[in-house]
Amino acid sequence: MKFNKDRNWLIKRAEQEDQHFISVGGLISRIDPEWQADVSSVPNVEATKTAFVRLLQLARRERRLSLEQLAQKTDVDLGELVKIESDESFKPTPRTIHRLAEFLKLPAKKLMVLAGLLQVKDFGLQQASVRFAARSEPVEDVSPEEHAALEEYVKFLNEQ
Amino acid sequence: MRETIQIIDNQSGEPVDAEIFDEVALAHFIETQAEWRPVVLAAARALSQQPNQGFLIPRHFHWDWTRKEAELKLLAVKFYGLACEGKLQGIMKVETVAHSCRLPEQQGKPLVYIDYVESAPWNIKKLMTALGQPQRFRAVGTRLFEAAVLQSQEEGFRGRLGLHSLPGSEGFYINECGMTPVGRDPHKQNLLWCEFTPEQAERYLAGE
Amino acid sequence: MNPKRTMTLNLTDQEMSVLDQLSVQKDLSKTALIRQALRLYQLVDARITRGEKLFFEDQDKQKAELMVL
Repeated sequence: MKFNKDRNWLIKRAEQEDQHFISVGGLISRIDPEWQADVSSVPNVEATKTAFVRLLQLARRERRLSLEQLAQKTDVDLGELVKIESDESFKPTPRTIHRLAEFLKLPAKKLMVLAGLLQVKDFGLQQASVRFAARSEPVEDVSPEEHAALEEYVKFLNEQ
Repeated sequence: MRETIQIIDNQSGEPVDAEIFDEVALAHFIETQAEWRPVVLAAARALSQQPNQGFLIPRHFHWDWTRKEAELKLLAVKFYGLACEGKLQGIMKVETVAHSCRLPEQQGKPLVYIDYVESAPWNIKKLMTALGQPQRFRAVGTRLFEAAVLQSQEEGFRGRLGLHSLPGSEGFYINECGMTPVGRDPHKQNLLWCEFTPEQAERYLAGE
Repeated sequence: MNPKRTMTLNLTDQEMSVLDQLSVQKDLSKTALIRQALRLYQLVDARITRGEKLFFEDQDKQKAELMVL
């Protein structure tokens, strides 16, 4: 086989390769289920899921965005966003969570927990989620109370 | 087939001799599982602590290791290994029969399909950065990819190549390698099918 | 590459014609085409021997079973 013997070609290709994950299939693509599996389960998953949906809804309404606009801004499938907001049992993909986290400026890992993709023992998060879910009811405009609740929850999520 | 080629030693920044071969045995797969997996896991955990790493840990194919031994005997399947310093540094599986070209201008013509290509985790910059360590070797994936293109030319497929790109690699295959993105494949978790025409393959090999 | 051995292939006019036509269609030499056919045959046979089944699916999504013996 006539492999390229040019040193500069090799260095240029190496630099390009280093910018990306160029694996096709392989171990990297199988990792996700692996590291999710080895943590113990948490009670009251419903509260975190509700909190996640409310968080999304309020954040979206605060920015005056329709689902469509949010889908566009985050490059996420509109159908998936609709399902997140309407279907309790629906589990979004990790990619979607990361795009939403980016957009909301929130830690992706915490959002993964809320969305039910990750299970982590964090009772502080549980408590905060239950509180937020209880205080945020879906209405037309974001009320001052909802706004305050949202602010407090976001602040909590951002703290490490 | 066993040939000497160069990859880059990250420490010196200089090319070093490595071996690329197609006599891959089951022992090689076992080696990748035993030696690579723990490092990938450690890096994945480190990466998960960082914000906005969504594309880097996608959830995709189930790769069935138990079938590999049977596949070693198939003419349609070829495995390549790349070794340096007595250790496996990269591995690739290509296939020549189950897939063919999808680009309209070469629809139905045979191609070499890259089913799997991976560098050992200690050669992957993003993983090693997450672990706070330097890469060991560079251009390993490149050499394997190059071998696939060369095989395609030697087979008489004129360099035609196809693969399903993981989301985080789309930019690499389209922009850096010059492949044409054809479409998302619903039969493969909506991954993007990328393809080489003979001209694109030539340009890649020549370094344009 | 691997050392190769030569074989003479006796084909009917019709078979030769099909081989020619497919070669042009697939942009392959006749040898490469026969090689592809052999690979496909081995692959299908291996999977059927393992107990799997090979199907064709038509435009209406109706499956017809094809078995290679």
